[in-house]
Amino acid sequence: METDILIIGAGPAGLAAAFEMASKGLDVTIVDESITMGGQLNQQTQVIPSLPSSFQSMRGFELAAHLTKQLEEYDIRYLLGHRVIGFYKDGSVGITDEQDVFAVKAKKIIVATGAAENAVAFPKWTLPGVMTIGAAQTMINRDFVQPGKEAVIVGSSDFALDAALQLSEVGVHVKGFIEKNAGILSRDLEKIEQVKKMGIPIYLDSFIKEARGMGAVEEIEIEIGTRVLTEKVDLVCVDGGRSPILDIFYQLGCSFGYQKELGGWVPQYNHQFQTDRQDIFLAGNAAGISTQGVLLVTGMLAGINVCEAVGAITKTIADEEKDFLWKELEILETKYNPNIWEARNRHMENFAHPVIKEQFLS
Amino acid sequence: MDRSYETIIIGGGVVGSSIAYHLSEQTKEAVLVLDQKFPLSGTSGSTQAWVWVHNKTPSWYAEFSMYSAELYSYLSKKIGDVEFKRTGGLSPFFNEADREKAVRLAEAYEQIGIKIKVLSREEALEKEPFLNPDVVGATYSAIDGNVNPFRLVDRYMRAAKKNGVQYSTYNKVTEIQKMPGKFIVVSEKGEFSCKNLILAGGTWSRELGKLVDVNIPINQLRGQILVTEPLKPFLNYTISGLRQAFNGEVLIGYSMEQEGFNRATTLDVIQETANMAVHYVPSLKKAKVVRAFSGIRAMPEDGFPILGKIPGVENLYVAATHSGVTLSPLIGTLMTELILEGETSIPIDRYSISRFAK
Repeated sequence: METDILIIGAGPAGLAAAFEMASKGLDVTIVDESITMGGQLNQQTQVIPSLPSSFQSMRGFELAAHLTKQLEEYDIRYLLGHRVIGFYKDGSVGITDEQDVFAVKAKKIIVATGAAENAVAFPKWTLPGVMTIGAAQTMINRDFVQPGKEAVIVGSSDFALDAALQLSEVGVHVKGFIEKNAGILSRDLEKIEQVKKMGIPIYLDSFIKEARGMGAVEEIEIEIGTRVLTEKVDLVCVDGGRSPILDIFYQLGCSFGYQKELGGWVPQYNHQFQTDRQDIFLAGNAAGISTQGVLLVTGMLAGINVCEAVGAITKTIADEEKDFLWKELEILETKYNPNIWEARNRHMENFAHPVIKEQFLS
Repeated sequence: MDRSYETIIIGGGVVGSSIAYHLSEQTKEAVLVLDQKFPLSGTSGSTQAWVWVHNKTPSWYAEFSMYSAELYSYLSKKIGDVEFKRTGGLSPFFNEADREKAVRLAEAYEQIGIKIKVLSREEALEKEPFLNPDVVGATYSAIDGNVNPFRLVDRYMRAAKKNGVQYSTYNKVTEIQKMPGKFIVVSEKGEFSCKNLILAGGTWSRELGKLVDVNIPINQLRGQILVTEPLKPFLNYTISGLRQAFNGEVLIGYSMEQEGFNRATTLDVIQETANMAVHYVPSLKKAKVVRAFSGIRAMPEDGFPILGKIPGVENLYVAATHSGVTLSPLIGTLMTELILEGETSIPIDRYSISRFAK
C-alpha cells in the first residue's frame, strides 16, 4: 500500500493533522489500534477547557465526534483496529490487522501516538481493584461499568479531580484524595471548590503504605504525616501523571531529550514539529504532555508543516497559518501552565544537541 | 579510586568479566575492568546464550568449545546459579541429503570425544514432540545447553568484585601509551597505569587495537532475536535457532547481517525468523511475539577466537571472539594461566593474533 501521508494515532492531534492535510488535497492514511476514532477523548465526559478559537466549547466525546465528522467529506483511508508493529528495511511501515502484516510506504509520517499513564507503586499494588484514573474513566464512561463502590484517588491533578467527580456521579463513594506533595496539583480552582463542597477529604503529604485483600483490594493504609489511617475500599485509582508513548520513535531511530514538564523523555523536534528523521513529524502528547486544546494546535501545525514539505501549499500561506497557530499555542499553553510552554521552547532549542541519539549503536 | 594496577582489562562483557573473575581467584594483585558503557549493554546482554558445541567446525574448534562447556557445572558451583541447563542440543534437518553430512560429522567428532548421535525422524520426534513432523532427522549432542547471560555476567562481576577487582563503567578508553614496563591507559575519567593490559573489547576490538597500532580483525555481525510470550514448558532441547527460556519465553533467531553497530530491528528479518520458527516448530504459529531485539556479534575475520599475547608488545594481551558465552569459562581460565604462568594448560597457539600477519 502507498500513501502520501501516514498518521499513526487517531486521537485529537492525529485527526486535527489529518484535516489540515486532507483539506489541502493530500492522500492521507490513518492507523489506530482502537476501532474508534478520537482516542482518549471518547471517555472524557467533562467539558474541555480552553479549546482553540475555531472550536466551540464542548465535552471530550463531543470533540471526538466533531473531529471525526469534519473529515467525512474527504477520501481518507482508515486502518482502525490495526497496529504498527515495526519497520521494513526500505522504510515501509509494518502494520497488522492482528491476522496478517502488510507494508505501507508513506512519503511522510506523522506520529501522534499520545501518552501513557504512569503507575504509582506501593506494596500489593497489583491487587485487582487498583487501576489508573484513565482506566476507571474508561470503565464508567465508555463501557458503562462501575469499577467499585468505595474508592480513593491517589493524586490531585486536574485529571484526578475529574475522575473523582465522574466516579461520584455514577454512585461511587470517593473517600479521599491521597497526595504525596504538600499542596494540591490541580490549578482549576473551580474544580477544587467543587470537590471540597462534596466533602471529599484531600490528604496532603500522604501516601499509601500498603494495600490488603484476598484476590482483590479490600483495605488500604494511608500514611499521613505521623498518623496512619485505614480505609475500607474496593477501588484505588492512581494518577502517576502521563508520559509520551515513544516506541515508534525509538524504532525509527529518532533522538530524545528529557523535559520533566513535558512528561519525561520526549522525541527531539524542531519548530516544524519535525524529528531528526526528515520524513517523520509528530504531534499531540507524543510531543510533550499538554492540554487537549494544545494537542489540537500541535496537530494542525504538524499537518501544515507536512503540507509545506510536500509542496501542497506555498511557504507564504504556510507561514501565515503557522504564525497564527503558534500564537494560539502560546496563549493556550501559557494559560494552562507557563512552565510547560517554557519547557517546550527549551526542548525545541535543544534540537541541535539531543541527550540520547544513536541509541541503537552497540 | 586507585590509579595503579597490576592488570587492566578493557571490556567488561562476558569475556572481560570472566578473565577478571578467574584472575582474581588466583592473584591478589590489583585488577581493574574498564567498560565504555556497562557490562551487558552490548553483545553479552543481547544473545540467546547457547552453550553450543556440537556442530562447530572444524573438530579442533569443537573440541575447544567442548572443554569450555564442560567447565560450566563447576563454574556454577563457584560463582552461583547462572541458570545453566545442559539440555542437550538438537539440529534438525529436513532433507534426506543432509543425513550423510550429519553422519560424517558424528564420525569425525567421535575421535575427539564429542558424542553426536544422528537421529532418525522417529527418534527426533520422540525427543522433541513439537518438531515439524516433516523433519527427516537431527543431530543430537548431550553436551549443549544454555545459560542466562544476565546472571552469568552479573555473577562473574560480583565474584570478581568480592575478590577485590574494581570496575570503572561508562568510562571509554581514549588513548593507550606504552611506557617501559607499564601502560598508561587514558580514559574519560582519568589516567590509569598497569603492567598487564588485556583488550577484551568484543565488537569494538578493532577500534581498541588502533590505540596500540595493532590490527584486531573483528567485524560486526547483527543478529535479530524474537521473544514470545511465556509458554508452558514444551521444548526439551536447545534447538539450533531457538530455545525456551526458564520463564517460558521462546527465544528465536539465527539471522546474520552486516550492519555495523546498528542495533535496529527490521520486519524483513523478523518475518523471516518467525517463518523459520514455525517451520521448525509449527505450533509456535499460535504464540504471540512480544518483543524483538538485535545483538551485534563480534566476528573474527576467520571466525575463530583471537586469544593470547600480542607479539612485539610486552604484557599486552587480546581476547576477542564470537561465541563468548560458550567460551568464557575456558578463555577466563586460559588467559589467567597465560598472564600468571606464561603458558596455558591447553595450547592456544592456533588462536594467536599472529595468524593474521602477512
